[in-house]
Amino acid sequence: MKERAFITLTNGFKDKLFRLAKRLLVSNEEAEDATQEILLKLWRNKAKMAEYKNVEAFAMTMTKNYCYDKLKAKETGNLKIVHSNYKDEQPSLQRQVEAKDSLDWVGKIMNSLPEQQRMIIQLRDIEQYDNAEIAKMLEINETAVRVALSRGRKKIREELLKKHNYGVV
Amino acid sequence: MELSNIEKLLEKYFEGETTISEEKELKVYFTRETVPSHLERYKDLFQYFSEESQVKATRGLPLQSGTKNSRYMWIGVAASVALVVGLFVSNLAPNQQENLGTYEDPEVALQKTKEVLNLVSQYMNEGKGGLVYLNEFENTKNKFIK
Repeated sequence: MKERAFITLTNGFKDKLFRLAKRLLVSNEEAEDATQEILLKLWRNKAKMAEYKNVEAFAMTMTKNYCYDKLKAKETGNLKIVHSNYKDEQPSLQRQVEAKDSLDWVGKIMNSLPEQQRMIIQLRDIEQYDNAEIAKMLEINETAVRVALSRGRKKIREELLKKHNYGVV
Repeated sequence: MELSNIEKLLEKYFEGETTISEEKELKVYFTRETVPSHLERYKDLFQYFSEESQVKATRGLPLQSGTKNSRYMWIGVAASVALVVGLFVSNLAPNQQENLGTYEDPEVALQKTKEVLNLVSQYMNEGKGGLVYLNEFENTKNKFIK
């Protein structure tokens, strides 16, 4: 496979890999690194690429595993603390800032979920994969996907409700 | 879409039982300008989802340099192989000629070696004969430096 063909193929899902990595690792830089690493790995194994039924799903699984490894190695420990420490308590000055803020708030709620729920919501609600695809990517069964999805969504709703009740006066 | 319908969909959504297309409907509904106040809080959620799906990776892939390197590497490998083979070939040729001149019998070899060494020492002595003139220098030098 030629470089050009490889790049056109991977451009179709490169951003999805990046967004998944960012969801798990939080830091932009880390996510860029992860995406690059995964794509280079694919490139090195391009001879085997024809054997994979679905390169995109395969790359997603690789990304998940890579990010898990990173998280386990606690290389991103510091960054994670920095991000989850942030509290959005001050009322913002401008409406636009406020709107941006409340979207950030959703992001923060989402990033406080357990990793699996976070990934499933990312893949389902943002990337719009169906449950069967997600189950394959994350190497779990479909029921587990549905349960985690529902739990994650309910948790987000709960947090949003809290914020709505005393966050905006 | 009707409000009751949306509420039903939302309920299904939080149970994780909506289909992808139903979720798309929800997304479309909540990214509109006006949403009833009791559903206002979900607006952020769906807006966030649609905004997040626009995030893009910015860094390019350094594929080209990688392949170029490997190409140069192969050229290097080929060159060094050629060099080594070349050295071998040019070394082999004179070796074979020398081999043709060796003696099987040690006696003959000894004799021949002696002959050659004698020849060399003979020439040495002849050459040394020419150095007699140098004694003149020595004599002159000794006159001044004692």
